[in-house]
Amino acid sequence: MGKNVLLVDDSSTMRKIIGRSLRQAGIDFDNIFEAADGLEALEILEKEDVDIVLSDINMPNMDGISFLREKSGRDGIKDIPVLMISTETGDDIIGEAKSLGAIGAIKKPFTPDKVNEVLGPLL
Amino acid sequence: MDISKNIIESAQEIFSTMVMMEISVNGENMMTSIPLTESISGVIGMAGTHKGVLAIHIPNKVAMAITGSFLGMDVDEINEDVEDAVGELANMLGGNVKSILSENGKDIDLSLPTTITGQQYDFQPTKDAERIIIPFSCDAGEFTIDMQLEK
Repeated sequence: MGKNVLLVDDSSTMRKIIGRSLRQAGIDFDNIFEAADGLEALEILEKEDVDIVLSDINMPNMDGISFLREKSGRDGIKDIPVLMISTETGDDIIGEAKSLGAIGAIKKPFTPDKVNEVLGPLL
Repeated sequence: MDISKNIIESAQEIFSTMVMMEISVNGENMMTSIPLTESISGVIGMAGTHKGVLAIHIPNKVAMAITGSFLGMDVDEINEDVEDAVGELANMLGGNVKSILSENGKDIDLSLPTTITGQQYDFQPTKDAERIIIPFSCDAGEFTIDMQLEK
């Protein structure tokens, strides 16, 4: 069975670019779900079968840190891995994301090679 | 602190990796701007130990070409895709500037990006601020990156 990914970013442009980078990196997913913020992401995780989440940090309504915090308290979805893709690179915020369960981070801007390097071993 | 070299390198990295477009500096840095016509600006605010704003000002036709390259499709009007793409450019520039300022002891937070579009408008600081405006060119035309940081 193939894998499904959830892309979480308030920029539709960035969600398209991440999708493009996944294809260029040779990483195929059966389904690519999209959410514009953490709230939408939680709704999708509750009803769809998602294998991995790629999430921005700075988003309106519910940011990436709050999304991780909320997700970690929900039994059905807390173990779905989340990789942060963000302009944020500070040790404090990435450290906080990892303490809430994020498995790593990719900094924007990124190349398909970088996506493959970080994401490939996780799949 | 001369941040213009860092901004140039950041912009070139963003455009080459994400927009698939090469850009180059097109003249000397400026400290005052001219009115913007038929343009779109992506703006991101900075606050914390230092306040300021970072903006990218792009003529509409150049913004449409940049968005088309971003998305791999033809774009022939200023629409939500263009606004989103320009906002995301400002966002990524802001992220890099934040990192650079942080390395120099300036701890700032970024706002969410916003965009302004219009037939003719001015973009001017209201407070006394250090300002640099870097002119760039690409195959589609010219644009500027404008950073203002409180003194």
